[in-house]
Formats: sequence, structure tokens, C-alpha cells
Amino acid sequence: MPASPTLPENNQVNNVYDLIRGFERLGYITDRALATAVYLVLKLRKPLLIEGHAGLGKTEVAKVLAAMLGTRLIRLQCYEGLDVSSAVYEWNYQKQLLAIKIQERTEQTVEEKEKHIFGREFLLERPLLQSILAEDASPVLLIDEIDRADEAFEAFLLELLSDFQITVPEMGTITAKHVPFVILTSNRTRDLSDALKRRCLYHWIDYPSLEKEMKIVRTRLPGVAETLGSQAVKFVQAVRQMNISKPPGVAETLDWVEALQTLGKNQIDAEAAEETLGCISKSAEDAARIKAEGIEKILSETA
Amino acid sequence: MLQQDSSDFTKEIVEFCRFARANGFSAGITETVDSLQAAAAVASAGGETFKSAMRAELCSSKEEWDVFDRLFEEFWGGSARDSSNRSDGAERTLQPKSRSQKMESARAAIFATGEPSARPADEEGSAIAGASALERIRKMDFSEVPTGDQAVLERLAERLLKQMTRRLSRRLKIAESSGPVDLRRTIHRNIGRGGEPIDLRFKGKNLQQVQIVILLDVSGSMNLYSMFLLKFAHSLQKHFKRAGTFIFSTEVHDVTGALRTRKLADAFGSLSKIATGWSGGTKIGESLREFNRFHAKKTMSRDTFVIILSDGWDTGEPEVLAAELRALKRRASKVVWLNPLLGLRDYQPISRGMAAALPHVDVFAPGHSLESLLELERHLMRGAAR
Repeated sequence: MPASPTLPENNQVNNVYDLIRGFERLGYITDRALATAVYLVLKLRKPLLIEGHAGLGKTEVAKVLAAMLGTRLIRLQCYEGLDVSSAVYEWNYQKQLLAIKIQERTEQTVEEKEKHIFGREFLLERPLLQSILAEDASPVLLIDEIDRADEAFEAFLLELLSDFQITVPEMGTITAKHVPFVILTSNRTRDLSDALKRRCLYHWIDYPSLEKEMKIVRTRLPGVAETLGSQAVKFVQAVRQMNISKPPGVAETLDWVEALQTLGKNQIDAEAAEETLGCISKSAEDAARIKAEGIEKILSETA
Repeated sequence: MLQQDSSDFTKEIVEFCRFARANGFSAGITETVDSLQAAAAVASAGGETFKSAMRAELCSSKEEWDVFDRLFEEFWGGSARDSSNRSDGAERTLQPKSRSQKMESARAAIFATGEPSARPADEEGSAIAGASALERIRKMDFSEVPTGDQAVLERLAERLLKQMTRRLSRRLKIAESSGPVDLRRTIHRNIGRGGEPIDLRFKGKNLQQVQIVILLDVSGSMNLYSMFLLKFAHSLQKHFKRAGTFIFSTEVHDVTGALRTRKLADAFGSLSKIATGWSGGTKIGESLREFNRFHAKKTMSRDTFVIILSDGWDTGEPEVLAAELRALKRRASKVVWLNPLLGLRDYQPISRGMAAALPHVDVFAPGHSLESLLELERHLMRGAAR
């Protein structure tokens, strides 16, 4: 059995409220549901799968968690075709070849030479191996956009998440000293395997309520005029109700408010909104639809 | 490990897990034990936290996430820690979602003709014999095949489609391209040469079959063809690992799962349960929008071939069709539209819908006979060579 996760002494989280406050201190506004899920990650050592639309802070959860615990964040960005050599480990072949050449004239036995070129110094550690090799405390392992990786990789991951050990044929099996806290995110571009889902805690991040989004804007952008912030949030919330292909997330709201602020606006008028529409609508069709709805109209309705 | 205030509460949670399982959650023994641990971990916090913990533990998808509240309320009656008179919990189950059970007569008719006939063809008094006749039936419009020859056509279709899809799935796999040197495989390859890297191996693209998505029109105007095209879809899906099939008329239904059976006859049972506008009107544009919004993300990647099987008779707005087809085209590597009406000698694609669709389609070809369906191979291979 791998050892249990360990935290630095001064970063103990004793209950869900500690966690909410800890996250808030780092600028991440969370609700009880998400905080409870993260708390259970710490207590039960189960991985957490977070699903939801883009731009709602899925990835941020892992970053903030690592910052709050004061441990390392190890991130694995998934993509189609991700394989073991870029996710787990790879031998440094160039260096090995050179080492073989250098050793050619020495008196070492074949076994010694082999042992040498398969030593740790020739091993390139990729994120998953790094997360297992952590020396001092459990790191936070973020496996981002797992839905983009192939199913074969998902199966491999399943194995890793149950044993927290990796076998390198030339070196033997490496078992985690400190089991990492694992956060997986998915944009639901495809369904994940049932086995993986069953192994994980689950959280669905939805668009935030009006109050919560206002609070996020206030926390993240403290210098923003109150009217500007509230107008922008209401506008974005109205846009999300429209039938568009990529509804703006919280990240878009923040971008937009920042853009408007940079332009020296204290409140939103139709002209300014149209000029900066690119911040919240990321395709030409969506922008056209928002304009067709009437920017002026949305502004007056949400005033 | 577990420190409960009372063993009653433990029992409550176990019963809640059983209740969740009865309602379709995957709450097995492992989940139950984990739920107990989760409950213990948040034991000091309030009811809301307890609910959140149960939800994180027991849900595993958005769909489950959405019904969890209702389930929780149903079982605990609003107050999470109130454990009085709840012992009957395990017996109760939520009513299954009400689904329209009535079968439209047209839908029934489609499936009636669709059941592969169990009788051998000669008993039926087949008009077909010999190779030239088989050649003829290959070219025959599906709607004109006499009842007596249906079985022959079915068998022929099964054999030829199987050949084609097998060939296709293999050939589309080999389309390889070279990349940077793969040192691991190069070294292994050159062991026999004393480790000198002479014969280089390259990191080719991760070889993978292309993905296909089939959109099949099952509206009234397609009645005569739906059956064969469904068979076509089934055959394609059998040989492509990554394939999806959707039927549409006024709305879209994912039938990938239903078609994933070895025998098509088994699929009909589950297909006939899908309430959709079998033989109703067509809103191709709207259906495509629905597909784009809810299914495209999950089923498509950049190397997807989309095969649309429809006659293009659209009662919706042509602008919508054009816009949605454009959106679909952006996601796909190739869009092939097979139209059974193209088999008619004097057909021109001038129906408003078809005219709007044409500019956004890579290949527009007939799909009325077995031979025209077999042509798909050529269309797809041209795409792969690109």
C-alpha cells in the first residue's frame, strides 16, 4: 500500500469552512458544494472529477488548492494522442547514446555500463512520474481536459490512480511516498469511461448566480467601479440565456470588465459594449446574434 | 475509521445508497462504504455540507448531478439529519420517466418491412436468379425492389457492405505520415546492427481510424429508403471503432448504442422505442442545429467524416440549414450528402433546402441503390488521401 498523503504542518484544513475561507483568501470564490468535494479529496484521498463549461474556473481549483496547501502543483495537459512517453517518463536517448560512446574504451563490465545508462540521471520525468516521486509532501496533480486524451490513456490513468505506482522496466516499480491529491477536469467533449467516473468524486460547475459572479468580480478586480461591474455581470448573465454556441464563462466576464476599465469606462454604454464585444463572444455568429438582439435593449433591460 | 453518532445514521446512509441504486445510480458496495467515510469526514458540519458530500460521492455525470437534489429531498424529506420514520426508504423508488409509449403506425410499418425475413428466398418465388440478375439488383432503386427480391437484396447488401466497410476501415488506417525520429523504436530496431542507428524509425502520427458520423433522415418522404439506409449505417458502424449514428426528422436521436448489436434485428426492438417523428415532417436545419449544439462536441473530432442521408425536403428555413451545415462543416474533415432522389433520372437539386445546402457539402451523390451506397468507399478514400 502506498503511504497516505501528507500536508505541511501549518496548512491543516480541519473543516469545510476552513477550506472556503482559504480559497477566498486566494481570490477564489467557492460555494459549499465545491468546497465539500475538495474537502473530501483531502480527507478521503479520492480523485475529484470536475466537469463544466469552459471558463468557469475548473483548472483554477487545482491551482488554488496547491497554493492554499503550500505544495507543488503538477499539471498534465491532455490532448489527442498523448502517450506514456510524454505523460509518464522517457529515457534521454541522446544522452544515453553519448554515454555509451564515452564508456566504450573503459574497463567497466557490461552490467556496470547498463546500470549506468539506466540511472536516474538519464530518466526524463514527465508529470505523472513527478507526482509520484514527490519527496516532502503530497503535491496536487492536475489532469486537465482528460476528455481530450484517448481512451487507452484513460485506462492507463485508471491503473495509476488505484495504485499510485509506476513501473519502469529497466529500474523497477516506483511507489509514491506521498500520494498526490488528484483533480481531473473535463469539458465533456466525450463521455469518460464508467470505471474512471466511479473511482472519482464528482462535481459539476455551473454558471454562477448573479450574486456569486458579482462577488467574483469584486474579489478579482478590486479597483472596478461598482456600476461597471454590476452592469457587465448582468449583461453577461442575459447573454448566457440567449441561444448562442459558446456562452461566455466567468473568465470572459472578468476579461470584459478589465477591458472596459482599461478603456476608462465607469459604466457601459451601447457603443463601448459593441467595441468590446469580442471579449464575451468568441465567434462571429454569436456576436451577430447578440447585436441582432440589440445591445441597447439588453443594457436597458438589465439596468 | 467511522465514528458515527449512532448506528441508526449508518443504516440511513446505507439505505439511501440502496435508494440511489434503485434509481439508476451506480451506488455499489464500494460507493456505499465511501459514502459512509465521506459522511464521517463531514460529520461535524451542517446538513447542506452532508448533502454536498453525498452528491460528490454518488454522482458521476451531469445527468445524475441534476436529479440528485430531487432524490435527496425524496429520501430525507428536506432535513438531512432527521432520521425519524425513514425506515421505509429502501422500498420506495421514483417513478420511471414517463415516456410516450404509443407507436405511430408508420414507424411500426417501417420496422415491419425491416425485419429480415426468416424464409429462404426461393420459397418466396424470387424473380431473380444468376449473376446478371444480381448485377441488376445492385443498381435497382430501393423503392422499386419487388417484395419477393427483398431477401436477396438484403443478403447481397450484407455481404457487399461488409466487404466495403472492412476494406475501408483498413485502408483508412494505413494513411501514415512521418515525423521526428523515434529514438526508442530506432534503437530497438537496430539492436541487430550492434546498436548503430542505421535504419531510422519515425514518430508517425498516432495511427487511428477516421471517425464517421451518420445522420439519417427518417421523415415521411424517406420512408421507402430509411430501412436500407439504417442497414447501411449498421454495417458501417460495425467496422468502424469510432462511429456514431443519429436519426432525425424534427428532432435528433442518438441511435449509436441501439445499432451496436451484431444482428440488426436486435437493434430494431430498441429503435422502435425511440419516440421520434418516424415518417413525420422534416426540419433538417433545426435537426442539424440540435446535433451541433448537443451531440457534435461529444461525437466529433477534426478527422470526422460526416455522412448525411437525406432527400433534402426541408420544411424549415433554408438559411438555418445553410448556417448549421456550415457550422458542421467546420468541425468535420468532410461532409458527404447522399440523396436517394438523385437516382431519379430528371431530378435537380432545386428544392429550397437542397439548394441552400449544396455549397457547404464536399460530395453530393445519389444514395438510392446498393451500388450508389458502395460508392461511398471512393468518396471517403478521396478524403483520406488529401
